Amino acid sequence: MELFIQTIINGLILGAGYALVAVGLTVIFGTLHIVNFAHGAFFTLGAYGVLLLQRMGLGYLAAIPLSVVAVALVAYGLELTIVRRALYDRGEHGSIIITFALSQAIVAAIVLLVGPDPLPVKSPFGQMALSVGGFFLSAQRVFIAVTAVVVLAGFALWIQRSVKGQQIVAVSQNAKGALYSGINVPRIRSMSFLLGVSAAGLAGALLAPLISAFPTMGDSNVIVAFTVVILGGLGSIAGAMVGALVVGLSNALFETYVSVSWTPALGWILVVLVLLFMPRGLMGRTEINRH
Amino acid sequence: MTSSTQALQAQGMGEALPKKHILLLLVAAALILGVGLGVQNPFLLNLSGYTCAFALFALSVNIMLGGVGEVPLGHSLFFGVGAYAAAISMNLLGLPFEIGVLLGMAVAAVLAVLIGFLTLKLTGAYFSIVSWGLSGVALVVAHNLEFAGGALGLFGFSRLAVGPFDLTNPRSYFLTTAVALLLVLVLLWYVRASRFGRALESIRQGRHLAQSLGINVFRERLKALVLSAPVAALGGALCVPYLQIVNPEILSVLRTVDALLAVLIGGTGLLFGPVIGSAIFTILPQFLNMDANVKVLVFSLLIIFVMMVAPGGLHQLFGNVVSRLLDMQKKKREAGA
Repeated sequence: MELFIQTIINGLILGAGYALVAVGLTVIFGTLHIVNFAHGAFFTLGAYGVLLLQRMGLGYLAAIPLSVVAVALVAYGLELTIVRRALYDRGEHGSIIITFALSQAIVAAIVLLVGPDPLPVKSPFGQMALSVGGFFLSAQRVFIAVTAVVVLAGFALWIQRSVKGQQIVAVSQNAKGALYSGINVPRIRSMSFLLGVSAAGLAGALLAPLISAFPTMGDSNVIVAFTVVILGGLGSIAGAMVGALVVGLSNALFETYVSVSWTPALGWILVVLVLLFMPRGLMGRTEINRH
Repeated sequence: MTSSTQALQAQGMGEALPKKHILLLLVAAALILGVGLGVQNPFLLNLSGYTCAFALFALSVNIMLGGVGEVPLGHSLFFGVGAYAAAISMNLLGLPFEIGVLLGMAVAAVLAVLIGFLTLKLTGAYFSIVSWGLSGVALVVAHNLEFAGGALGLFGFSRLAVGPFDLTNPRSYFLTTAVALLLVLVLLWYVRASRFGRALESIRQGRHLAQSLGINVFRERLKALVLSAPVAALGGALCVPYLQIVNPEILSVLRTVDALLAVLIGGTGLLFGPVIGSAIFTILPQFLNMDANVKVLVFSLLIIFVMMVAPGGLHQLFGNVVSRLLDMQKKKREAGA
């Protein structure tokens, strides 16, 4: 029973981290109508940002926001040069290939600049463990979960209450209608792209001390994010949050009770199953292309 | 059969064997013989053989990309099945290489039927994600298969030969793969001119219109996948003599990306496009002495560039430049007059 509860807690904390990556992905899909295959690369960039800032002598907590800003800057540069020109209002076909190639290019650049080996990222919570009611929690995991929940709650509030947030919702519901009612659609799209990939960068910065920084770290995470987003329904922010908890829990349960070496396949199998049998997801409203 | 389809078929028959194509075939055969007998450098011959094997995979990817209009990120699954089938047949079952190749193609075709039934209802990003997902599952499976060497893979093959042709000899390796490539190209050319090829093209251009015209969209897409899978498996098996090892890496999505690069550089619309792209993609980095990561970086940026400027392949870019130059000349002349 204790093992079970410990597993559930681990799963929920894992899910909170997934939610950050997934919400970014779903916001980008909602407003840009592209599936951002480069999402994982920005996750990796966030982790390496923290690593490099630490090497320059910054503390972990100070490095996180700076790293997110750096990711946003890189994203802004790419948005201006590539994303804006090549992806908006183009076919799906092109956006898949371009975002995928972009992610390959970013990962290759990281390997060339920093090297292919996993590098440890220090965190003040690294060796600490909290004991709550007989259950052990690693302080870093708690920190990740708390940060993720705070950021996501803030984001949800911002979307609901602020003018810009409502404009994002409007563009994702009906881009043409939004344009006709005077919303600067291209700007909202750029903003969603920056917000979305910055969330991925933040997740990378938060998770780096746990899994250390390595060039392909984004791959497995983006797959999980796809599962989460598809399970929740593409474009639905609330769906992404619920989906993240479901996937986090099932991952933790599978790892504890079935097999560790097969766990990497679980994400893939979940993606396939969800797309085949529940393509609209839990809360999706987007009509999926089927014939 | 209506008169209009009869007319179409008659047109197809007429096109089947004009002198131009026989000439093209002869030129290709002469090229193969010329390279195969003329080039003395064993390294270059080996690389050319690998290029031909890889071009088979690129052609297979292009059946999906240029033919069906989907991005098959997980196509490396079929490529890997071909390589693994050949390796497992030789090392574990004691079967000759040729039987292994055929087995791989058969397994790939059966898998394509199963996978197609499950996934071809999906389109666009959904299809790409599921496809990527299935190759990811295959990667984990390969890592966990004890008998197939796990993460280390299989190596130390005893007899790599097709009939009397020893594939460890660079010259006969190149000739064998080149002939296989030529045969597949001829087959694909016939398929493209066939009723099925035309149906596929109409689906790619407008799925719903094709459906309304009575084309069974799902069945034609399934046929295309089942056609492309054994070609990928053949390519994978023929890569084994060059690679000398079959490990889970061969199932990685990066292999698909390599093939996509080759296809996009060469152009999706041309039958020869993927072959030319493969030649550029495999031979150029060797001569420029490129590091693997520099290669990925350069080619990924190239792919973005090609997609932004000339989605039809590099030849389209040349076409664009030429037509722009002609336009400029025309304007100059008009301005002069």
